[in-house]
Amino acid sequence: MIAESELEASRAVEMIKVEYDPLPVINSPGDALKQGAALVHENLGNYRIMKACTPVPGTNNANHVKIRKGDMTKGWRKSEVIVEEDFFLPQSDHIAMETRSVRAEIRPDGHIIIHSTSQGPYIIRKKLSRHFNIDTGKITVHTPMVGGAFGGKAAVQLEMIAYLASKAVDGKEVIIVNSREEDMISSPCRIGLEAKVKLGASRDGKIRAAEITYLVDTGAYSDMGAVITKSIASDCTGPYNIENVWCDSMCVYTNHPYVTSFRGFGHLEYTIAIERTMDKLAHALGIDPIELRLKNAIIPGDTTPTQVELTRSNIGNLPECIGRLKDVMNWEEGQRIDIGNNKVRAKGIACFWKTSSTPPDAASGAVITFSPDGCANLSIGAVELGQGSKTTLAQILAEKLRLDISRINVSIDVNTQDNLEHWKTVASSTTYMVGNAVIAAAEDVIEQIKAISSIVLRCEAKDIEIADGKAFLKNNPKKYIDITEVIHGYRYPNGNSIGGQIIGRGSFIMRHLSGMDKETGKGTPGPLWTIGAQGIEVEFDTKEYTYEVVKANSAIDAGKIINPMAAKGVTMGGMAMGLSIASSEAFIYNDMGVILNPNLRTYKSIRFGEEPEYLVEFIETPEGDGPYGARGLGEHGLVGIPGALLNSLSIAAQADLNRLPLTPETIWRTKTGETI
Amino acid sequence: MIGFDFDYYKPNSIEEAQKAYKDLKSQGKVAIYYSGGTEIISKARVNQIHFDAIIDIKGIPECSIYGFKEDKLIIGAATTLTQISDSAFFPLLSQSCRNTADHTARDKITIGGNICGKIIYKEPLLPLLLSDGEAVISDGEGVKSVPLTQIFDKELQLEEGEFLIQITINKEYIFLPYINIKKTKQGKVDYPLVTVASIKKDNKIRIAFSGLCSYPFRLYEIEDNQNNINNEIKIEFNNIMDFLPSPIMEDILGTAEYRKFVTRNTLDEALEKLGGVLC
Repeated sequence: MIAESELEASRAVEMIKVEYDPLPVINSPGDALKQGAALVHENLGNYRIMKACTPVPGTNNANHVKIRKGDMTKGWRKSEVIVEEDFFLPQSDHIAMETRSVRAEIRPDGHIIIHSTSQGPYIIRKKLSRHFNIDTGKITVHTPMVGGAFGGKAAVQLEMIAYLASKAVDGKEVIIVNSREEDMISSPCRIGLEAKVKLGASRDGKIRAAEITYLVDTGAYSDMGAVITKSIASDCTGPYNIENVWCDSMCVYTNHPYVTSFRGFGHLEYTIAIERTMDKLAHALGIDPIELRLKNAIIPGDTTPTQVELTRSNIGNLPECIGRLKDVMNWEEGQRIDIGNNKVRAKGIACFWKTSSTPPDAASGAVITFSPDGCANLSIGAVELGQGSKTTLAQILAEKLRLDISRINVSIDVNTQDNLEHWKTVASSTTYMVGNAVIAAAEDVIEQIKAISSIVLRCEAKDIEIADGKAFLKNNPKKYIDITEVIHGYRYPNGNSIGGQIIGRGSFIMRHLSGMDKETGKGTPGPLWTIGAQGIEVEFDTKEYTYEVVKANSAIDAGKIINPMAAKGVTMGGMAMGLSIASSEAFIYNDMGVILNPNLRTYKSIRFGEEPEYLVEFIETPEGDGPYGARGLGEHGLVGIPGALLNSLSIAAQADLNRLPLTPETIWRTKTGETI
Repeated sequence: MIGFDFDYYKPNSIEEAQKAYKDLKSQGKVAIYYSGGTEIISKARVNQIHFDAIIDIKGIPECSIYGFKEDKLIIGAATTLTQISDSAFFPLLSQSCRNTADHTARDKITIGGNICGKIIYKEPLLPLLLSDGEAVISDGEGVKSVPLTQIFDKELQLEEGEFLIQITINKEYIFLPYINIKKTKQGKVDYPLVTVASIKKDNKIRIAFSGLCSYPFRLYEIEDNQNNINNEIKIEFNNIMDFLPSPIMEDILGTAEYRKFVTRNTLDEALEKLGGVLC
């Protein structure tokens, strides 16, 4: 319905009567894969496949990703202790504070203008071009500062609808603003997951084999769910060195809302399954859970499930993270302490890792220009959505140019015509990718300033250094020229001029990445891992099965921390989100697949007053290719938290908890054996 | 956005409100009384209610009174939950208001709106039922006073055109021993799985519930089914369950079995505070 005003449109929509013929409902990935299950997409075999993706026609399996590493027979033979667990996690939503909104207009000359609260303006341009056969040069996408995204605004959805709507009304500007309910139900949400994990270990605590099945609830469309399925497979074991791995990661259609990326990109979901099973294994072996993790922690020289060889640079230092966590959590005092009045305090931990599932040719660019007063202007294509990347990038540029940060301006709004392309603002990659482009652009600027200054100062370019807005002789800083005299060309006293505007350009493209082999999964999905250990301390009521999270701890190897306050803030934010998902957030469906809590009155997330005490520790193992050695960090604070809460509550309640969200009723049911 | 137009009236007296309602009705218009607006706005936004006019009672002085008059506490229908929870006039009522919704919402929600609305929990009503409150009602012509225990049955039984002006409570009730416990599915701010409010009067324990069944109620039957032995009041949980006016609710907050489990624990805690024992 397209109308002149929101009021007219909403009245018109009220007049539309829809009759639905109920069809068989697929309400879980497990049911979807049962023999004879109704097919969500009958013609799956005829679909055009856009990316590396292996659907299985005649089933609801939209992408089957396999990991086959080592020799399973050998692995099981060496396994003296075997544990096996099943897990269930429902879908949930991003609930960014700002709902998604978009404006689309087709100018009389055919140029398409899109304004969108997006994490991927360049992806919008690419997809519109691809699906509607429009030249990319005829599309401009604008993105302002975005009011929270968490992966949910990497999806391209409303833009397509708005474009078609504008086309239907002769190119007039069409605006779509999601209501909260629409944002939750109609726009894509977070995946659900069913998992089965079987781990085998020898008596000494060394894990010998892992057999894993992940069923991703992708909803009714595969979209980003197919890529998340791959991402889950690539890191499927968690950060442990396991020689023999067999994993089937499947993207499964259901009649739920379709999914897109969500902070962690599948990692928080599978980490729950792995980390709970690790605790079970520790219990079965009679080994302390921390010791088991230390014994199997992945280190340089080991290989990942996709057989990437690890170095200190790309994997960082997990044992140090675990050690630090052990100290800050005062692990030695015991995991479960009775504090009287039906209350116990319990501690649980989880380790995590995450690389970015980036296309091998993902790229970023940066351009630096100068204002006449010598302020540097940085133009980039990364979107600001609350993560503070632009500040970090300003810091990198300030450091490189040795210029005060107050003299750096970073472009805030992004438009695809004027700003340098950045793949998309996802995967904790902005500092890494754009940061490298900024360094390259800064080096370009320095070289140009030195070249002109050397003529003026009558020396070699290599004799010059730049700092505080001056180019000076290394050996005699008193001999200098202010950069304001060279950045827009140098003018001799008689009027002759040389040089011109100084424009720095820099770009970065991912290196050495490759797709995954269809049969074994072998390949390099991302450039580096950020790795860490997280712990939760709960106070649990053994009579009522209620609990309070008292402390949440993280020890993360994030490489060089460029902005300590921002790094701590983004990590705490992730931890809070992890607690919210683990304790409260979930879509609830009835038998017909209808969501029963489609608004914030009934869909509950953690509130400010329910936050625990947070403790964030960083280990700084430099990443060889990262700017100043930095690793990605945007998502990671979230990844291990749900698993750590699950472990702490399992210990507190002395029950095998294996489903989220962890409400007191879930715990009560598990304890009393009531089925759900 | 509310997708329909409506007229807004803000009368300055009960008579003006009554007249506005009559006039609108004679024009064939649907008019509703409006106080805090939280429910009306959120339902109108999603087209769950429709009206031609709203009559805002917040301009009526009698509806905004909150304080003592002689031996009574007068609570105007337009008193916000924040006003009540920030005051110490009737501690039990203050607490049950504080446990309702979140602070931002409490700034808007009025006690009259909460009691007269469609919301099934109405937690601020529990103390009023327990303390034999009186509802002062505009009945279209004049003003009448009716015991809440008589006029509240699942909902406040108002005739068409009537609206709630005030609730009055006898002062003697506000000093009685009391307890109010709210249990939710998980977070602090949510609808109740069960809320138990209880007072002790004349050595008898009175109990009212919200969230347990699909409407709030005072369980009168249990007031005649308690044993006072040596000043310890014994109440049987099974008796309470038997006297429930309707089946225990089952919804996304919790199953009926779990609500029962939670109710037992909550009653246990509540009775202990009032010198009772649940058995």
